[in-house]
Amino acid sequence: MPTSESNPLEHSGSLLESHKGYDPRVIFFYFALAVLLLILAGGLAYQQLFKTETYHERERVQSQRRVLVPGPRGNIYARDGTTILVGNRPRFSVVLYLDELKSEFLREARIIKKNYGKSDMPEATLREMPFSRMSRVSVVQRYLDEVNTIIGRSEKVDAASLARHFGDQLLLPYKLIDDLTGPEYARLIEGLPVRSPLQVYTSSTRFYPFGSSAAHALGFVRVNEELNVEDFPGEDLATFKMKGTVGKDGLEKTFDSQLQGEAGGTIFRVDPAGYKVNPPLEKRLPLQGKNLVSSLDIDLQLAAEQTIGDQVGAAVAIDVATGEVLTLVSKPDYNLTDFSPRVSNTTYAAIQAQGGEFNRALSGLYPPGSTYKILTAIAALRSGAITPDTSIIDCDGFLQKFNHRFVCYNGLGHHHDVLLRQAIAESCDIYFNEAGWLTKPEGLAEEARRFHFDRRTGIELPGETRGMLVPDNAWKERTKNEKWFPGDTANVSMGQGFVLVTPLQMACFTASVARGEVFTQPTLLHQPNRPRQKSESIGLTPEQRAALIEGMEACTLPPKGTARNLTTVEIQRVPGVRIAGKTGTAQVSTKAGMINIAWFICFAPVENPEIAIAVALEGDTPGEDFGGGRNAGPVASAILKKYFEKKNRAAASPFQPAKAN
Amino acid sequence: MPFRRLATHHPFATLGFVVVAWLVVPIGLKSFTRASFFELTAPVTVAADYARGLQEYWSLRLHSNHELIVAGRDLARINASYEFAVQQNAELQAGLDRLESLLRLPTYNNYRLEHARVARRDFSGWWQRIVLRKGKNFGLTAGSPVVFSGGVVGRVTEVYATTAVVELISSPNVRLAGIVEGENHVMSYQGGINPTFGPPMGIVELVPLDTFASASSPKRLVTSGFGGVFPPGLTIGSVTKVELSTDGLFKTGEVKLDERLGSLTEVTVLVPLTPE
Repeated sequence: MPTSESNPLEHSGSLLESHKGYDPRVIFFYFALAVLLLILAGGLAYQQLFKTETYHERERVQSQRRVLVPGPRGNIYARDGTTILVGNRPRFSVVLYLDELKSEFLREARIIKKNYGKSDMPEATLREMPFSRMSRVSVVQRYLDEVNTIIGRSEKVDAASLARHFGDQLLLPYKLIDDLTGPEYARLIEGLPVRSPLQVYTSSTRFYPFGSSAAHALGFVRVNEELNVEDFPGEDLATFKMKGTVGKDGLEKTFDSQLQGEAGGTIFRVDPAGYKVNPPLEKRLPLQGKNLVSSLDIDLQLAAEQTIGDQVGAAVAIDVATGEVLTLVSKPDYNLTDFSPRVSNTTYAAIQAQGGEFNRALSGLYPPGSTYKILTAIAALRSGAITPDTSIIDCDGFLQKFNHRFVCYNGLGHHHDVLLRQAIAESCDIYFNEAGWLTKPEGLAEEARRFHFDRRTGIELPGETRGMLVPDNAWKERTKNEKWFPGDTANVSMGQGFVLVTPLQMACFTASVARGEVFTQPTLLHQPNRPRQKSESIGLTPEQRAALIEGMEACTLPPKGTARNLTTVEIQRVPGVRIAGKTGTAQVSTKAGMINIAWFICFAPVENPEIAIAVALEGDTPGEDFGGGRNAGPVASAILKKYFEKKNRAAASPFQPAKAN
Repeated sequence: MPFRRLATHHPFATLGFVVVAWLVVPIGLKSFTRASFFELTAPVTVAADYARGLQEYWSLRLHSNHELIVAGRDLARINASYEFAVQQNAELQAGLDRLESLLRLPTYNNYRLEHARVARRDFSGWWQRIVLRKGKNFGLTAGSPVVFSGGVVGRVTEVYATTAVVELISSPNVRLAGIVEGENHVMSYQGGINPTFGPPMGIVELVPLDTFASASSPKRLVTSGFGGVFPPGLTIGSVTKVELSTDGLFKTGEVKLDERLGSLTEVTVLVPLTPE
């Protein structure tokens, strides 16, 4: 066969193209091609064999999503262990799983696009809401209409919130209607098909059966964006979190880690558009947090709160033996239900305006007034400045001393040669001024510090003040650059002037006196067999202590006890119970003028103290007749009556333990 | 040769073609085909049931006169007790009506009772349903509750010309609002995954924490009437086990259903008089 090579001219001008079978010049290109192929194959092998893990990881991160769901918080119980003070209530809502509607959205978008061509809709509308967004609103509204038909509502889709949800939380159910009523949720259970993107969703929210009761002790929770689940894989995956809660005040805050539920989680595979592919790859159910048994007795708490009513102040009742707080009232307060699931700005502003957030029981600083005379008496007795049966002063209603006239505000009838018991019972100012001077200011301050009046009690609640004050010479020189005057000692000896205490401190002090010790550690946690507290002895002889207690008991008895209304007024009487108490009326300066702080501290029964109480109420009008026995006494009386009523009832019942809880 | 190879693979090719064709067929056409197929086979189902009925008739004819007399006597006694119960119920209903009128409570839906014979039972791990020998020809509507002497049977899901399909309450596709007898907290009942020949079971959720039940001390679960589909007080089953759900808010429980659900022959459809 002739070739073009043999005779090139033969086919000159021919249209036939011919190739020779072998050309050495092409070999170079073969090599080049082979090298390129080798590079390609090598690269491919490198990517496939050596970087497998990297790409597998990238694919995993790209195609998997993690959804975290918070666990319900633990309950808070009253000291009986059965009455729920803070629980969880179900919150029913109807939700739509948008990730199951991919094909419906696409179909709807096609229909809208088709109809758009036929309509005269302005282009501006399309710019505001593109077809895809329109289709989502349209489809979701169709599902919402289905719900509306079943429960008889006429809800509309919020396009903006839907767009936000679609963009940020596609895998989470979109809430169509929140907080359904019982009948609505029942109708939806039967009305909605089981296999439907519409579902009735149950979440939990805090439930407060007693509303505002013990609000400051229990505290509230706020929405928490941070939600973590321990030992759950997929930390590197894109994670969608349902909102949890975090304790923001009271026991909810202090024991947040204990009450906090264990979050659950699910890992889904998603398609390139972000839609979920069932079933989930990994799933863990959420678990409820641990329960807490508080020391609060809700019956006593309610009794105290009802008696205080609209007044401003605080009341604390403590179990003498264990220091467990039975009642912790601070008024004004707030309704905890307003915080569940979230408090509105208006309500929160109203709470703040009336000072409802401020916990007066452990942050309210007041001069203790004449209730402090118990400390003065102890200091004077221990220092040897006074004895129970020796007169130190003749009270004529006033005393001229140190170029100053000291008045006995409780001695209008003249106490004369008053002794310790009478001085306590009738709250003789002159007697305690003299006792203070005899004890010296350093002695009074030292005794106050021994009773822990200079420091926080350490109760398990946030926000306890550090502002309590035991004044002495050094403090006055340091802070006011002034000398200490005898008048300062007189003021301190009767709980006026610079002394500042909290109602909780006074309750602890009263419990300590009742036990014959110097400190009571308050606690808000209940332990059924908590051992009796033990601290340093009060340091009085039996005779001295007896005189002190007798004086306190006489305070609640006729004819001249300053809190005799507790035994003479029928409604305040606690039948068959001997009460040792001390009234106090302190004055504080406010913008409106000098107002009174009414104090009453007590413990009962005298022979075997079980409960100690401190009540402090703020007067609201300068110059009004507002005092410890008259105003604070009834609150203590209400607590005592309820306490002994429960105790007697329990003793009468063959199925209950004899001791009141 | 290639033609011969194609002929060898012809069945597979046909199958593939049919599958692909079915995939691309519009949903409307598929539904129509399915409904048509059901309508087409309905006479066969009904005829088979008639044949079964005839067989039962002749087997009953074999009973002696003595047995029939005894059965008649027993039936008369049962009827007497039912008559008594009917009278008591009428009195109770009158009392309820009076109270509802006093309290101005909304009245429950009224129903027309349509008794129907079961033509076919279809139990599997996937679905639990029966086919009734009545359909549009007797005015049955989809969604209607179906009951029998033991309580709730299920809900009508599909209605054809002469037949209707009822999803049993043992099916996971049926959910209703129930209450424990004597209480008022609404719970969610749903059929469980039931084995073909196993005893029918269901699941109850949102059970209050203070509800306790066990196999030895079961609680009767009845319809609440709040769901708007089933009238109140119809037996769903017995709650035989409850345990705390993981969220701590409620309990979940198992419901033992009436075993007669697997051998129903006659049921009653409650056709709403004012369908929603």
